[in-house]
Amino acid sequence: MQLEIRNLGRLYDQGRGLSPTSFEIKSGELIAIVGHNGAGKSTLLKILANWIIPDSGTCTIDGVDLKNRTAVVGKIGFIPEVPNLFDAFSIEYNLGLFAKLTQTPTVRVEEILQEFDLIPFRKSKVQSLSKGMKQRVSIGRALLADPPVLLLDEPTSGLDFEMTREIYRVMGAMHGDRKTILFTSHRPEEIRNLATRILLLHQGHLIFDGTAQEYFRSSFHENLYA
Amino acid sequence: MITRNILILAFNDLATALKNKTFFLVLFIPLFVFFSMSFIDRFESDPGVVRIGLIQHHTYAPEIIKRVSAAKKFMELIWVQSETEGAQLLYKHKIDGLLTQSENKTSSLALLVLKKDSLKTLAIVQQFSALQKVAEGSGPDWISDITSLHQGGVQREILPTWVLLLVLLVGFIILPAQVADEKEKHLLLALLQTPIHEVQWLISKLILGMVLVFTAVLLLHLLGKFGPVNVVDYVALIAVGSYCFSAYGIFLGFLCRNQASARTLGVIFYLPHLLPAAMSDVSQKLTVVAPFLPSYQLYKPIQSILLDNGRISEMTFDLAYLFILGSLMLYFSYLLMKRRWLM
Repeated sequence: MQLEIRNLGRLYDQGRGLSPTSFEIKSGELIAIVGHNGAGKSTLLKILANWIIPDSGTCTIDGVDLKNRTAVVGKIGFIPEVPNLFDAFSIEYNLGLFAKLTQTPTVRVEEILQEFDLIPFRKSKVQSLSKGMKQRVSIGRALLADPPVLLLDEPTSGLDFEMTREIYRVMGAMHGDRKTILFTSHRPEEIRNLATRILLLHQGHLIFDGTAQEYFRSSFHENLYA
Repeated sequence: MITRNILILAFNDLATALKNKTFFLVLFIPLFVFFSMSFIDRFESDPGVVRIGLIQHHTYAPEIIKRVSAAKKFMELIWVQSETEGAQLLYKHKIDGLLTQSENKTSSLALLVLKKDSLKTLAIVQQFSALQKVAEGSGPDWISDITSLHQGGVQREILPTWVLLLVLLVGFIILPAQVADEKEKHLLLALLQTPIHEVQWLISKLILGMVLVFTAVLLLHLLGKFGPVNVVDYVALIAVGSYCFSAYGIFLGFLCRNQASARTLGVIFYLPHLLPAAMSDVSQKLTVVAPFLPSYQLYKPIQSILLDNGRISEMTFDLAYLFILGSLMLYFSYLLMKRRWLM
C-alpha cells in the first residue's frame, strides 16, 4: 500500500488551507501532521478522506486516484475530530448500519464491540456517551471494513488522561497491525511517543518532513511552540 | 447491491424520522385537519353581488328576466353562448351560478353552481325567492333544481388544499432540515466513506419524502372518509407530486449549511408555493398568478381528481412538468453533493 500525493492543494478565502503539496507515504508508517491552527492539517486529511474536493493535484493509493471514490473507499478510514455518529441511535445500531453498507460480516461488529470494551454500552444511545466513548465508537466504525490507511484528526482533543491513553493504545495496536496511520496533533508528547515520521505544515506549506528524532532536534519544534 | 444500499439508507432515514419525531408531525397534521374541519363555519358573512350566467339560446320566462335585471344591486347578468362556456366561467370564478331550463319542469329553472355549500349559492337562492315573492306572491319556485360542479361538502372541497399542504410540508420543511442536519453533523460524509453511490443516497431521501407524504395523505383520507373515484390515477399523481417536491426539498437542503437555515429557507419557499395555489379558487388575481408555480401544477390535478373525478390522462402537461422539475432538482442536488457543497 502506497500513497502518492502530487501538488495536492485546496485554498480558502484569505489564503488559508493547503497549498499544492507533494509527498509519499509507505505502508505501515505512523505519521504525525503538526502545525498551528489553520496550517492546513485538517484540510489535508479531509482531502485524503474525500470530504473536501482539492483545487489542484492528485492523490493515488496503490495507483488508484482518490477521485474514484467508490474504488478506494474501503482503503481509507477517517476519524474526524468531532465524532460524526447517528446520535439518536445506539452504538450497536451505528456499527450495524455501517457494517451493512460496507458489507462487513456481523461478527466483525461483535469483534469491534469487544476490542473497544463497548459491549456493556452496546444498547446505549450515542448522545448519552462521553466524548471519549464516542471517539472509541468512531474509531471502531472506521475499522469495521479493516482499511489499510487510517486518518485521525486530533484524536485526543478534549479527552481526559485515561481516554487519551486508551486512544494511544488503540493507535499503537493498529500500527502493530501494519496499518498506515496519519494523525494531526498539537501535543508534543503524543508526537514524540507515537510518530515514526513528522510532517510540519506552516501556512499551508510543507516545511518539514522527517523522523521524530530529526524534528525534535531541529529548531522547527521550538519555533512552532515558541 | 444497489437496491440493498438504497433500502438500508431508506430504513435508516425512516428510523431517524421516527426518532426525531418528524413522523409524528406528518401524522399530527391530518389529525389536526380532521378535528378542525368539524368546526368549520359553513358560510361567510357577505356574499356581495352575485353574477348569474344565462344561456343565449335558452328561453327564459320574461317575468324572471325582468325582475332579475331590475335587481342590479344584488345581481349581475352575464350572457353566455352555451352551457359548456357557462361551466368554464364557473370554474374560473367569473360567474357564481348558471341558470338553465329545468329538464323536469319547463316553466322553472335549474341552477348550476360550483359548490352547493357556499354562501354564493345560498345568496342566489334567497334572492330568487325574494324576487319571486314580490312578483307572484306564492307559487312554484322559479329554481326547481340545483346541481354543482364540485361534488361533496365543504370538507371534501378543502381536501385538495390539505393534500397540497402536506406534500409541500414534507418537501419544503421536513426534507431540507433533514438533509441539512446530515450535512451539519457530517453524517452524509460518514456515509460517503462507505461504497454507497451519491445517487443511492438521493434515492433514499426521495423514498423518505414519498413515504411521509403517502402516510399523511392516506391518514387524511381515512379520517375524513373521503376517497377519490379514480384511485390509481390519484396514487400516480401523488407519487409524481411527492417525487417533485421531495427532490425540491433535497435541493433546498443542499443550499444550506445547517438545519436552522434550512428551516428558514423552507418556510420562505413553503408559503409562496402554498398560498397562491390553494387560494386560487377564491381569487381571480391569484388564478392568474398561481399557474406559474409548480405547486399549482399539483393542486389543479388533485382538485380535478378529487372533486371532478378527473383522469390522469387529461393531465399529461402537469405530470410532465412535475416530473421534469423533480428530476432537474435531483440533478442539481447530485452536482452539489459531488462538489461537497457547504459540507
